[in-house]
Amino acid sequence: MQSSPNMLTKFESKSSRAKGIAFHPKRPWILVSLHSSTIQLWDYRMGTLIDRFEEHDGPVRGIDFHKTQPLFVSGGDDYKIKVWSYQSRRCLFTLNGHLDYVRTVFFHHELPWILSSSDDQTIRIWNWQNRSLICTMTGHNHYTMCAQFHPKDDLIVSASLDQSVRVWDISGLRKKHSAPTSMTFEDQMARANSNQADMFGNTDAVVKFVLEGHDRGVNWVAFHPTLPLIVSSGDDRLVKLWRMSETKAWEVDTCRGHFQNSSACLFHPHQDLILSVGEDKTIRVWDLNKRTSVQSFKRENDRFWVIAAHPEINLFAAGHDNGVMVFKLERERPASAIYQNQLFYITKEKMVRSYDFTKNTESTPLLSLRKLGSPWMPPRTLSYNPAERAILVTSPADNGTYELVHLPRDSSGALEPTDMKKGSGSSAVFVARNRFAVFTQSSQQVDIKDLTNATTKTIKPPPGTTDVFFGGTGSILLVTPTNVVLYDIQQKKQLAELTVAGVKYVVWSSDGLYAALLSKHNVTIVTKSLEQVSTLHETIRIKSAAWDDAGVLLYSTLNHIKYTLLNGDNGIVRTLDQTVYLVRVKARSVYCLDRASKPKVLEVDPTEYRFKLALVKRNYEEMLQIIKTSSLVGQSIISYLQKKGYPEIALQFVQDPQTRFELAIECGNLDVAVEMAKQLDRPKLWTRLGTEALAHGNHQVVEMAYQKLRQFDKLSFLYLCTGDEEKLARMAKIAEHRGDFQSRFQNALYLGDVDARLQMLKELDLYPLAYATAKANGLDEEVQTILEASGLTEDQISLPTMGQPLQPPRPIVPTQKVNWPVKAASHSFFEKALLGEVGAIDDDAAPTSNGFDHIDGALEDEAIPRDGELGEEEDEDAAGWDMGDDINVETESDFVNVDSADAGAGSSEADLWARNSPIAADHAAAGSFETAMQLLNRQLGAVNFTPLKPRFLEIYQASKTYLPATPGLPPLVNYVRRNIEETDTRKVLPIIPRDLETIATVDLQEGYGAMRSNKLEDGLKTFKKILHCLLVNAVSSQQEVGEAKKIISTAAEYATAMAIELERRTISTEGDENLKRSLELSAYFTIPKLEVAHRQLALMAAMKLAFTNKNFSSALSFANRMLANGGSAKLLDQAKKIKSQCERSPQDKIDIEFDQFAEFDVCASSHTPIYGGSASVACPFDGAKYHSQFKGQVCKVCEVCEIGAPASGIRLFAS
Amino acid sequence: MDPFSAEGELLNIHNAFYQGQYKTVVEFDTSSLSAENKVPARTLQLRAQIASGQAKEVLANVKQEGNAPDFVAVKALAQYSTGDVSGAVSEVERLVGSQSEHPTVQVLGGIVLQGAGKTEEALSLLGKHQGSLEAIALTVQIHLQQNRTDLALKEVQAARKWAQDSLLVNIAESWVGLRLGGERYQQAFYVFEEMAQVPSTSATKSLVGQAVAELHLGRLPEAEAALQQALQKDPKDVEAIANFIVLNIISGKDSSELRSSLESAAPEHLMLVDLREKSQLFDQAATKYSAKAAS
Repeated sequence: MQSSPNMLTKFESKSSRAKGIAFHPKRPWILVSLHSSTIQLWDYRMGTLIDRFEEHDGPVRGIDFHKTQPLFVSGGDDYKIKVWSYQSRRCLFTLNGHLDYVRTVFFHHELPWILSSSDDQTIRIWNWQNRSLICTMTGHNHYTMCAQFHPKDDLIVSASLDQSVRVWDISGLRKKHSAPTSMTFEDQMARANSNQADMFGNTDAVVKFVLEGHDRGVNWVAFHPTLPLIVSSGDDRLVKLWRMSETKAWEVDTCRGHFQNSSACLFHPHQDLILSVGEDKTIRVWDLNKRTSVQSFKRENDRFWVIAAHPEINLFAAGHDNGVMVFKLERERPASAIYQNQLFYITKEKMVRSYDFTKNTESTPLLSLRKLGSPWMPPRTLSYNPAERAILVTSPADNGTYELVHLPRDSSGALEPTDMKKGSGSSAVFVARNRFAVFTQSSQQVDIKDLTNATTKTIKPPPGTTDVFFGGTGSILLVTPTNVVLYDIQQKKQLAELTVAGVKYVVWSSDGLYAALLSKHNVTIVTKSLEQVSTLHETIRIKSAAWDDAGVLLYSTLNHIKYTLLNGDNGIVRTLDQTVYLVRVKARSVYCLDRASKPKVLEVDPTEYRFKLALVKRNYEEMLQIIKTSSLVGQSIISYLQKKGYPEIALQFVQDPQTRFELAIECGNLDVAVEMAKQLDRPKLWTRLGTEALAHGNHQVVEMAYQKLRQFDKLSFLYLCTGDEEKLARMAKIAEHRGDFQSRFQNALYLGDVDARLQMLKELDLYPLAYATAKANGLDEEVQTILEASGLTEDQISLPTMGQPLQPPRPIVPTQKVNWPVKAASHSFFEKALLGEVGAIDDDAAPTSNGFDHIDGALEDEAIPRDGELGEEEDEDAAGWDMGDDINVETESDFVNVDSADAGAGSSEADLWARNSPIAADHAAAGSFETAMQLLNRQLGAVNFTPLKPRFLEIYQASKTYLPATPGLPPLVNYVRRNIEETDTRKVLPIIPRDLETIATVDLQEGYGAMRSNKLEDGLKTFKKILHCLLVNAVSSQQEVGEAKKIISTAAEYATAMAIELERRTISTEGDENLKRSLELSAYFTIPKLEVAHRQLALMAAMKLAFTNKNFSSALSFANRMLANGGSAKLLDQAKKIKSQCERSPQDKIDIEFDQFAEFDVCASSHTPIYGGSASVACPFDGAKYHSQFKGQVCKVCEVCEIGAPASGIRLFAS
Repeated sequence: MDPFSAEGELLNIHNAFYQGQYKTVVEFDTSSLSAENKVPARTLQLRAQIASGQAKEVLANVKQEGNAPDFVAVKALAQYSTGDVSGAVSEVERLVGSQSEHPTVQVLGGIVLQGAGKTEEALSLLGKHQGSLEAIALTVQIHLQQNRTDLALKEVQAARKWAQDSLLVNIAESWVGLRLGGERYQQAFYVFEEMAQVPSTSATKSLVGQAVAELHLGRLPEAEAALQQALQKDPKDVEAIANFIVLNIISGKDSSELRSSLESAAPEHLMLVDLREKSQLFDQAATKYSAKAAS
């Protein structure tokens, strides 16, 4: 028998002996009835006592929650059954009738019935709606210890100290009482009262089976939730399993193990297990099918009295002498590991599956781990090694075991693993590509093993180590109950140590720079060198965590998903209705595994933490984006911003003027502050504004504040300081007006206005002062006047010695006109962005010049003799040049392997390529230029290889890399393959640069671009380059060969067309011959099969040239063709105009060799027509047509192949 | 005890040498080493100096080191590195006559002989080794240069059995892996990446190795990043430049600047020599063909 030392206890309470337990079906509550007469209601998740109910007298043994109503029932040694409401927290009514202790009480799952068993040897059924006894079942001849309803059928099972278990049929009772449950309570009452006369009698409930087998009293009995099974426990220390059919019931087997009375037992709600408890202080778990002991948990001192199972989730509760414990039999955390976009996890059926985050799909089972550990113990951890595609799974069975298994390449269903390496150890984790660490707790030893499961190193971890985790490449994290140690395996030394208590899990960020250490109630974020970054505490258990790509940690508690930034700022992201284990965060999606090991995606709103993160990183653009696109407002974010020292940002969120004012002052944004102060216009605000503005040196705002506050003295002084004499004078006036002499005097002083001072002093009859003033300033006249007025002479007055009269300095610069250098206002980037001043934000499209603006001019100048009639419109018609949509030649890129001839060993891979492939490009890559040329000559009649030289060398070089090896020797040459999955030397092929896709998407478009922008020389070069690239190339499928051929012919047409037009441009416009040739060439320019948009350009040019030279008939035909092609309205308008003009006299002035009605090709060499029927030859590669006299020459278009040479055709793909 | 084993005191200097951290090797504090390991450590330091381009200095000073066969071999290597191939070869041949069992003589002699084109002699000298990983690695490289991947693989697999943990075996295995291809590319990549991305062991050599593996895996942007990292560390690293040129050709970018810097840094680089040869070959081959009619 195994004993599991660490039981997964979730909750424990301390109280007197617990005799009855009931789980709430939905909420995290349990009711515990105690021997001390109290009933407790606990929240086992939070660990808090919610309520106590104390109306029973003496021990309470039976307790049950109603499945749907806010009710519970209890039965006690006071013979009473009480029905309670936990909402109103009181006893609703009491059911009296039993004549002895009530042992158990249970609600029926649908009918309004309560079943009770009592020491009075009866079992009774009560209707709790009409509060009446409806059935009494007699038959047991000793205490009935337990009676339970069948979960579905109309059956009851009971256990008694008379050593029997009885099964009762109560279908008769149901028939009699088939009361519709939809009736209201009052109706029920009325109805009940009316038929109270209804008799209760044993005929309603008949004994169906009597099960005898226990040698002593039976304490507990229970039905299986789905199967026709019964389990009972008795004082004979046995747990017995019984089976029943329609007609009989019999004993199946006995579970032996308890060495004291077994007090209660039940079936596991979801698994084939039996749980039982006993007075031997054990909880035992039995295999239902084998009746063998699976697990047992022992308590030191407490006898167990009762056990209960949660109906939905994997939780049990057991009551003992000193309280209750809520526990789990097994961990529900699915073992999982993440690599890039894949999640590997183990399902409840012990299958390894993967989940693709990009496609949101689950794989079929990859592997079956059925044989791992014990059948009742799920694997604990999973570690994934991408290099080997191997997994390392640990299981707690047998004191810890691990298995190393390679995942199959393709998931072909649940395979049993073939090459499995096993060993024992409490944890095992990959630490490098080819190493894993196995930790054995009992021996306190970490073994580093290679993939053959051989130990290569042994490490002695610090004493008390409980677990090991991956610690970055080549390192491990050793976890002790108080510390975490980072240990370098290579150097065998401890790199860092951090005191963190009780770490249970470690979650690394995707860039490997940070790790989150999770303990029961704490999250500690550390760097990869184990330096603590931040830590936070949660009152609720922390379950899991995952890193956002931006570096935000999301973690889940029992009921929330929360986030924390590296700086420790945290908050709630969303609530959870069931516990999940986060595995990955991607944008708005949080991927997690639930307790059934199912991957789930939860949507979250990342706005808040994204915003905070952007704030921390000062990524204002992102903040702006967030503000613009989401509704992120509210007091919390403002106070957050303010608290974090970003008032200027908070300012952007606030509407309330008062708050805006405060924030503006705080961040020194005076403009906003002034605006708000004006709005609010309160003296207090103006004072603060004045002080703040003064500190900034913004005297204009100070002035405004003083004005508003009518602080004249301060104002005067301010004017003095700024040298604003004009305003000072005005202040003097105001002072006079106000009759404030003190102020007048001051202003006069500031102004240096002696007269005004004198005047004022005289007005106040302060003659002595006036005299002194006059005297000091040498105003003799005034002196005399004063003397006269006061009737004194100069001798009578003794004055102190006076110095020079003082004058305030005159302002030299009118400083008052501008503000002084103002303290740099914190106009952040953010604000500017908000105000729309930052261009980058607005996503301004690049200036839309298409390179065609100057083209039309160029074309006209060179090609089209100007004509007044068309002149005005020419600016516009040019726009037609770029109206054509580019045609993307579709490309497929599915790789197909190439079969080929045999190859021997001993030669370089490059040599193999030449043998493996009939494609010239592969021979060129191999450096076998002779054979490559030979192939090209045979396939395409290539004769002039000089233009291909760069291409050959390019291909040759692209396929070789140089790996530095032993110093002193030349590097190792390796060969780059295009079929990188291939390892068969007979099939490997070299990489060929410029694949079809690049040519189609880059080069071809470049050529089209040259056509549009009239850079024909460049275009010609580009198209020739395309031809050369395709001439020596390789593609990956037959379909691509077709595409390549299409591109070849397109490029050839364009090259021909461009050559024609370029020839025309070299002809001078003088002379009839030249003009004729020019007209002809412009007509031929319209012949090659260009894209429609480009053909329109050619037609337009030809039409104009013909028109200006009065070749109306030709012009008309071009116009008609343009109209037939359709396209831009402007272009067509012109064509229509010309058409109508030409139709008046459809004659050609100059006769040219151009039959507008005949189908013909243009000779690529002579640029003359090759009419249908006449002999011609073509280039075997690009298909350009030539008059037959050019046979044997080198093609003008590709410049490589011989015109009319015999050739087998291009070979780009070897099937 | 094998001084290069995990417990040996030469492990770190040895690993550093093979990871291409020549500076670390030269600056390695050898004073605490036991007497028997001093000579091998000094040899490694001299070799690191040669590898980082100071062959002349080594040649001038090696006499002061003493007469141990190790230093004679180093002298030969230095001679070879300064271009005196025939002198080096005769030195080695003399040394081999008396000291063919000496591991350093085997390895350095092997390098010189192979470098001088005497592959047979090099292999037979190296074949005498007694469990020297360096000799094995060198043998692997020579086999690869001979395009005998099968022999190289055999050699590596044999070594793996008894020295799986050795860095050198891992590196040699990656060399073979890059020839074999398929899944081996990825494995080789992991080895180089592991060395290149750990700051304490990162060197241009391993970065170039990583880039090469990525090139073979078709991961061009990653390869480019690694090469840029390598060039940042050492803008003159010829292998980094050479591989960068290859990368640019594959991704269709211009590389004339890199080419000229390669030409100035190492005019005799394998790539350039090869290219000149092939260019000539092309011209020669092209003359065989001509159009029937002149235009």
